[in-house]
Amino acid sequence: MRLPLIVLASALAVTGCAPDTGSPARAAERFHAALSAGQTQAACAMLAPESAEELPDPGQSCADALRELRFGPGGRVTEVSVWGEDAQVRLAGDTLFLHRFGDGWRIRAAGCTPVRDLPYDCEVED
Amino acid sequence: MVEAVRWLRENSLSVAFLVLFLLTVGGQAVAGLHEYNDQQLAQGLTPISFFAYVASSSYAVDVAENWQSEYLQFFLFIMLTVWLVQKGSPESKEPHAAGAESDERQQIGRYADDDSPKWARVKGPRLWLFSNSLGLVMGTIFLLSWLAQSVAGQAAYNSERLIDLRDPVSWGTYVTSAEFWNRSLQNWQSEMLAVLSMVVLSIYLRQRGSPESKPVGAAHTSTGVEG
Repeated sequence: MRLPLIVLASALAVTGCAPDTGSPARAAERFHAALSAGQTQAACAMLAPESAEELPDPGQSCADALRELRFGPGGRVTEVSVWGEDAQVRLAGDTLFLHRFGDGWRIRAAGCTPVRDLPYDCEVED
Repeated sequence: MVEAVRWLRENSLSVAFLVLFLLTVGGQAVAGLHEYNDQQLAQGLTPISFFAYVASSSYAVDVAENWQSEYLQFFLFIMLTVWLVQKGSPESKEPHAAGAESDERQQIGRYADDDSPKWARVKGPRLWLFSNSLGLVMGTIFLLSWLAQSVAGQAAYNSERLIDLRDPVSWGTYVTSAEFWNRSLQNWQSEMLAVLSMVVLSIYLRQRGSPESKPVGAAHTSTGVEG
């Protein structure tokens, strides 16, 4: 009886490896489009709650903090990885980490640069 | 009704373990969900539903890693006890019987009884297959469970890596990672210890009425005797 269950579990796990990559990619593009257009308030609304809370210095707004970071252009999407409720979107000019909340994909980290054998170093993170 | 009660009594061992399996695998799902959601909330992420959890890679890898080790344990026990012996253990054959044994002792071919299974009475690949079917099936379930562990484990591991702002890894990288081997070996060591304990303790200790033990009055030196 356990054999078919294991086969089913394997099949589900394998088929689960073909997730929707379009939604997190579009969320990342919209975030960078808002930044490029100077719409930092709109970009802040796309951040995960913890990230939006962590970003500003005391007395500063999230929008002001994003403006100060002077993000470069994001560019085109080059690679998207989705595992469970989390995703990494690589753009030509940035790497972002996203999480799927109840209302859709939100940016947890942006402006990220790789650090060998360690987590990415990100301008925005939770 | 009488038939049903008789059937239940004659199959009570299987039924009891099936019920225990369902209760414990369900209990694992409930406890696992609470632990998973506790971590999600601590990381500022969204908790998930019971059904989302039991379909998740996190639950799948926890289930599969235990299954593979149990099937590996039984597979090794079945196969190694063909050739290896332990004097005094009811889990072992007598030392002189080590090996695949004669056709006569195994009741196959012309030595088969009238009520022997059909494939025990034939020769060729069917006899070989039936003669090794228990080991083959247990070994196959072990490999499939281990494969399921690797696939689900990669997904769960990558999800955690993304939460930690790290790059996800390929399946090939995952199955050579410390995480995969730590999960596998921590289960294997406990299974090997459990078998060792059973083989050795049953030389000197008894459980009256259990076929896994020698009769209470059997000598410590008597091997392959089950009570």
